[in-house]
This record gives sequence, structure tokens and C-alpha cells, in this order.
Amino acid sequence: MLKNYFKIALAVLKRRKFFTFISLFGISLTLTILMVATALADKMFNPGYPDYNQHRSLYVERIEIKNTKEGWMNMSNLSFYFFEHYVSRLKTVYKMAISSAQKSSNAYLNNKKLVIGYKYTNADYWNVLSYRFLEGKPYGEREIKNAEQVAVISKKTKEAYFGDEKSVIGLYISADNINYRVIGVVDNVSGAARNFTGDMYLPYTLAKDSKNTELMGSYNAVLLGRTADDVPRMKKEFTQMVNKLPIPPDFDKIYCNADGFKTSIARRMAGDSNSNGITKVIAIGGIFVLLFLLLPTMNLVNINITRIMERSSEIGVRKAFGASSKTLVYQFIVENLILTFIGGVIGVFLSLLVIYLINESDYISSFNLTMNLTVLFFSLITCFLFGLISGVYPAWRMSKLNIVKALKA
Amino acid sequence: MYKHLFKLIWNKRKQNILFLSEILISFLVVFAVFSYLTYYYKNYIKPLGFDYDRVWAVSYNSDQLSKNADSLNIFYTNLNKALKAMPEIEAISFSSSNYPYSSSFMSTGLTQGGKKFNQISDFNVGSDYQKVWNIKLIDGRWFSPEDLISKNKEIIINETFSKEMFGTAKTAGKLIGDFDDKRKFKIIGVVNDFKANGDFVPANNLMFSRLDTTNLKWASTLLIRVRETAGASFESKLYKFMATMMRSAVEIQHVDEMRDARNKETIIPMLLFIIVAGFLIINVALGLFGVLWYNINKRKGEIGLRRAIGASGISVSTQMVLESLILATISVLIGCFFAVQFPLLNVFDVASGVYLIAILLSVLFIYTLVIACSLYPGRQAAAIHPAIALHED
Repeated sequence: MLKNYFKIALAVLKRRKFFTFISLFGISLTLTILMVATALADKMFNPGYPDYNQHRSLYVERIEIKNTKEGWMNMSNLSFYFFEHYVSRLKTVYKMAISSAQKSSNAYLNNKKLVIGYKYTNADYWNVLSYRFLEGKPYGEREIKNAEQVAVISKKTKEAYFGDEKSVIGLYISADNINYRVIGVVDNVSGAARNFTGDMYLPYTLAKDSKNTELMGSYNAVLLGRTADDVPRMKKEFTQMVNKLPIPPDFDKIYCNADGFKTSIARRMAGDSNSNGITKVIAIGGIFVLLFLLLPTMNLVNINITRIMERSSEIGVRKAFGASSKTLVYQFIVENLILTFIGGVIGVFLSLLVIYLINESDYISSFNLTMNLTVLFFSLITCFLFGLISGVYPAWRMSKLNIVKALKA
Repeated sequence: MYKHLFKLIWNKRKQNILFLSEILISFLVVFAVFSYLTYYYKNYIKPLGFDYDRVWAVSYNSDQLSKNADSLNIFYTNLNKALKAMPEIEAISFSSSNYPYSSSFMSTGLTQGGKKFNQISDFNVGSDYQKVWNIKLIDGRWFSPEDLISKNKEIIINETFSKEMFGTAKTAGKLIGDFDDKRKFKIIGVVNDFKANGDFVPANNLMFSRLDTTNLKWASTLLIRVRETAGASFESKLYKFMATMMRSAVEIQHVDEMRDARNKETIIPMLLFIIVAGFLIINVALGLFGVLWYNINKRKGEIGLRRAIGASGISVSTQMVLESLILATISVLIGCFFAVQFPLLNVFDVASGVYLIAILLSVLFIYTLVIACSLYPGRQAAAIHPAIALHED
């Protein structure tokens, strides 16, 4: 039966090439845009390298201090002191990766300027996050304690600074007039992994602000639990700790959240200290997708109706020989799904092309968009929904066709 | 004739409703695109208010400098002298971290006549700031050394802000209150509007206040207007000099590059939006074209009959085009009803002129689209030969 529908669908597609083109054009481009958007969203919520422990981690990146009466508010990253003094005492926290926000510095090489984004980190940073070391090794507690001027650099920095040099371990890289000894080279991190991307990583004891004892500073942290089950307990303990923090003078409330990865992204995009923004992100995203789908769907419905009316004699004959409305509706929806899937396949190829172009343009550094299984799975679902929605109404209209009229035409 | 056309449309209302809603949604999409573009275009054509060519921004960390206001003052004075002695430098000024195209934003409130004005960009600047950016004054004067001893702190504001407060741009010499109206500021000059956040972002109201001993500790940027001779070798020399002086991390940025980066933040989403909308419109155009074409093929008998009793080819094609235009008009009217709500309810805080221009452009666009899509099918209808058409039926 399905084989028959398939044959009919192909025959119909061949009959009116112009209409086929319009339908396929609409379907494939709509799906391309959706697929690329899904790939982008996927990259944002699952950046992957170097953070593979998302399921047992909590992310702390900002603190808000408020004077609720006057409406004053201060918001910033946290201080190293906050993590070292308060957070490290939490029992549920197994390991903690602390790193500063990225700062920039210049290096001048043969009259060429190189901008180096550097971060200060603690030693556990390298244990919590799984950076791929292409050569050398990270710095440990000893280097940190002695405030040694050592650096881990990214592959990009290595290529830009040392050129074709094979091994750069033990060589010196100069930034801010300080010569740092390179002890490790890591693979580039995508710009999507905002808190982990950098050109150069340095021991935090070299930072001038690591001794400040205020709550606000320029650091953020990943708290790693022993198991995924520890995460809720860790969150609870963290909240209790925050509630007991000393409140700076002139203020009366402190907000600071330890969130799971996806929540932390949603909070950064749409939330604030009180609400995590997940509902907002989903609602806005959903409305946007629906609005975007509305026009191509309407267009497809319009064309489908036109095409069906063209086939009214065929439908009349089938009805006259006893085919029920249900069978006809079923047939038409299947035909339409076949059409959408052909469009979908073209769409997948187009998306691969677009993704390739985005990656080539290097707009966000090392932003490797990929067409992985998640993206493909979501695309398949959208494809199916799209075909279903745009097929139902025309099919219903068709099944209501009067036999006599249809045969006469 | 129009009555007849309405009748024809009414008879096929079921098909036409889909057609109508498609045009309606296209209208709304086009309206959104045009509002967006008009808004940015209107901002884009406004003058910048300053020159960014050959300006470099050197940001440093002032934590390592003396905390004592007087010794800090002496330090900066000496640094100023040393820098000015460099032949490649035309003018220099220290500034707080918010300068044009930087990502930093500092704002304050001001009070005038019991009314509070919020979100005023607060630029703390050195005395040569005007020379660095080539800022034009339209009233009053720039800061001068004797200002430091006067009772009320001097500020310079922008034209639009001045008009908002006093209804005129000539406000030099007037006094206004700070955010809680406890202290008074004296306006000594009015400058052109200052688009500090990029070419497409509207100019914010602003006040320049002078970096003096009370707020010198907030200075964290050195702005330099260099001469044309300044190249990479000078930059690396300057870098070494600054890093040694400040004992901290230093970064030199070229303001023209920062401007490009800033504009990119607007242009990239705009391009994406245009691409997506353009694709939707092409999609709709092809769809409309296909449907109209098909409808005409189906009405061969009717058209043939009209031709047989003497209607000319032109009148037949006019009828076809007019029919689609009437449908478009109905959709556009409904669309306008929705679109007009934006200026009426003042959604998004955008000037209503932007929406009106956008509505006008969208109406024009939809009509052009519909005419373009119905012209060819209309001409095809006119070409139908009565004898053949009537024979077929």
C-alpha cells in the first residue's frame, strides 16, 4: 500500500515541475534555517570540549548585592576569596575549578600585534575540565604556591606566536612585559564555551587581585560533585552558605546562584538573580519558531490545495469505487510527508553547506558547529510536524469533495 | 465593476481566505523588517558627533598606582608630560573606562526643575578629551584649568538632553542638580549628540565631567590621537612604556577597529534577519504566483466566454490583476490595523515616525509583490483564445 502511495507521490511530483519546485524550495530552505538554528542552540547548550562533567557540576558566575529600599544594585563576577574562603568549605563539593574572566593583553612580534586573552586559574581547574594537552602538562599546586611564571597556551596562540616551531615547551612567551615559560599547549576551545575559552592560562597567584577580600571580583567557578546525585545536595548547601554571607554595608540582600549548565545559560540570556529564565527562553524560542513556520506552512497549504483540486477527477474516481474519506486523507498525508522528507533531505545537505560556511568564516573563534545526532533528530521531528500540519487541511478539504462534481471536472 | 469583482471574490471565499491570510502574514513580516531597517537607517544617518580615526585606547589596571589622591595627581601630570613629548602623539586624555565603542557603560541621574532624568551616560574625561575626539561645541566652552577651583562642578551635556531639560540648546551657565538634587552642577558647554555605542545605536544622553583629584582613581584608560606617522613600531614602544609606568596589564586598541566590531554586532543580526525574511518573501511570491496561475487555468471557460462576447485582452488581464489587488487591499487593511497598534501603544519605545514609514513601505512592497505575481498570469489569461476555451468545456 505504502509503496503504491510512494509511486503516486513521485508521479504527481513529476507532473507539475513548477509546483514541485516551489514546494521543495520552501520546505528545504525552511528546514535548513531550522536545522542551522538547532545546531547553534545545541552548540550553546552543549558546548562539549573541555567540559564533559556537566551532569555533576554546578556553575557559579555572578553575585548581586542589593539595597532593596533604595533600589541600588551591584552585580559582578565573584572574588577568588569568596571561592577559597566560603565555597571550598562546602562538604559536598568534590573539586572546584576557579578561573578569572578573560583579560586581554598585547604582544608585539616583528611589528605585528597579537592580542592574547588570558585567564588566571587554580590547579584543580585542569582536573575538573578535560582540556586536551597537545604537549606538556598543566601547572600544579607547587607552581601555584611558588607563583611561578608559567603558562599553558592554546594551539592558536602557539601557531600565532611561535609559528612552525615543533615543540614550544620551555620557550618563553612575553605578555605585559613578563616572560612566561610555556609548560603546556592545549587544543583550542570554542568561543561558545564562554567561561573556558582563552589563549593563555596562568596560575592565579600571579594575579594582582587574588588577595582582595571582598565578595565581588572577576572569578567564576565550576563546582564538581562526586556523583550526579550529589548535585541537588551541593546546590542546597551552597544556598545555605550564601544566606549566611556577611552583607556589605549599605546593602541588605545578596543573591548568588549555583546552577546546572543549561540553567546558567538561560539565566545569563533571560533571567536575573531571582528567576532562572528557563521558561522565558523556551517561550520566546517556541513563539519564534512557530511564527517562523507559519508563513511557509500557509504557503505549502495553499499550493497543496491547488494541487489537490487538480487531481479532483482521480479523487472522484477513487471515491466512486468506494474509497472512504479516511483512506484518502491518509493517502494524501503520506504523500505530503514523502514530499517533506525529500525536501528535508535537500535541507540536510543545504544545512551542511551553511554550517561549513559558518565554520569557515570563523566569526566566533573555533566555533565548530556540527551536524550531530541530536540536531538530526530534532530536524526529523520538525520535518514530520511540518509535513503533517501542511497536509492535514488540504487533505480534509479533499475528502469533502463532492463525487459528482469531481467526476465532471 | 468593483461590485462584480467583490461578488467573484465572495463566491470563492474558502480559497481566498487562505490567500488573504498568507498576504496578511507576509505584510506583518515585511512590516517587522521595514521597522527594523528604518530604525537603524534613521540612527545611521545622524552625525556621529566625533572623529574616531587615529584614536587609540590604552586600557590599564590602576590597582598598582598610589591610592593617595595628591601623589596620583602628580603621577598623572608627569605621565601626561612624558607622553606629550612623543612626536607621534597629537593629543592625549585620560578617561574612565567608558569611552566611545568600549563595552563599558556608566550612568547617572540628574535633576532639573523637580524632574529626574535617568540613564545619563557619565563620561569622566581629561582636559584634552575634546582634541582627541574632535568634538564640536554648539554652545559654551570646553573645560579649562581654572574650573578646578569653582564651587559647582562643571559639566558639559549634549544637545538633545539640553533641549529635553530646557527646550533650548543654549544652556551654558545654567545649574542643574545631581541624582538626589543635593549638589549642583554647572553646565559650561553643550556638544552635538554623541553616538558612542556604534553607528546604528541611538545617541544616549550624556554628561562629560572632569577627571580631578576626587575621581582620578577611576581613570583606567588613556586615549591618544596619534599622527599619521605612528605605526606598529611606535605602538610597541608605547606599549612597553605604558606597561612599565602602570606596572600592570596594558592593552592597546585601535578605536576604528572597535567601531567595526561594534557595528558588526548590529549588522550581523540584521543580515540574518534580512536573509530569513527575504527567503520567506521569495517563498510567498512563488506560492502566490503558482496559485494565481492555477486559478486562471481553471477559469478558462469563464474567461473564454468574456472574450467571446467582446471583452478585450487588456480588460481581462486588468480584471485578474484587480481581483488580486482587492484581496491584497483587504489583507493590508487588516495588517495596518495591527501595525498601527505599535505606535499607538508605544511598544518598544521607538519613535512613531519609524512605524509610519515602515507601514508605508510595507504597503508599497505588498502591492508591488502582488502586481508582479499576478501580471504574468493575467497576461496569460488575456491570451486565451475564446474558441479553444469554450470548446474545451
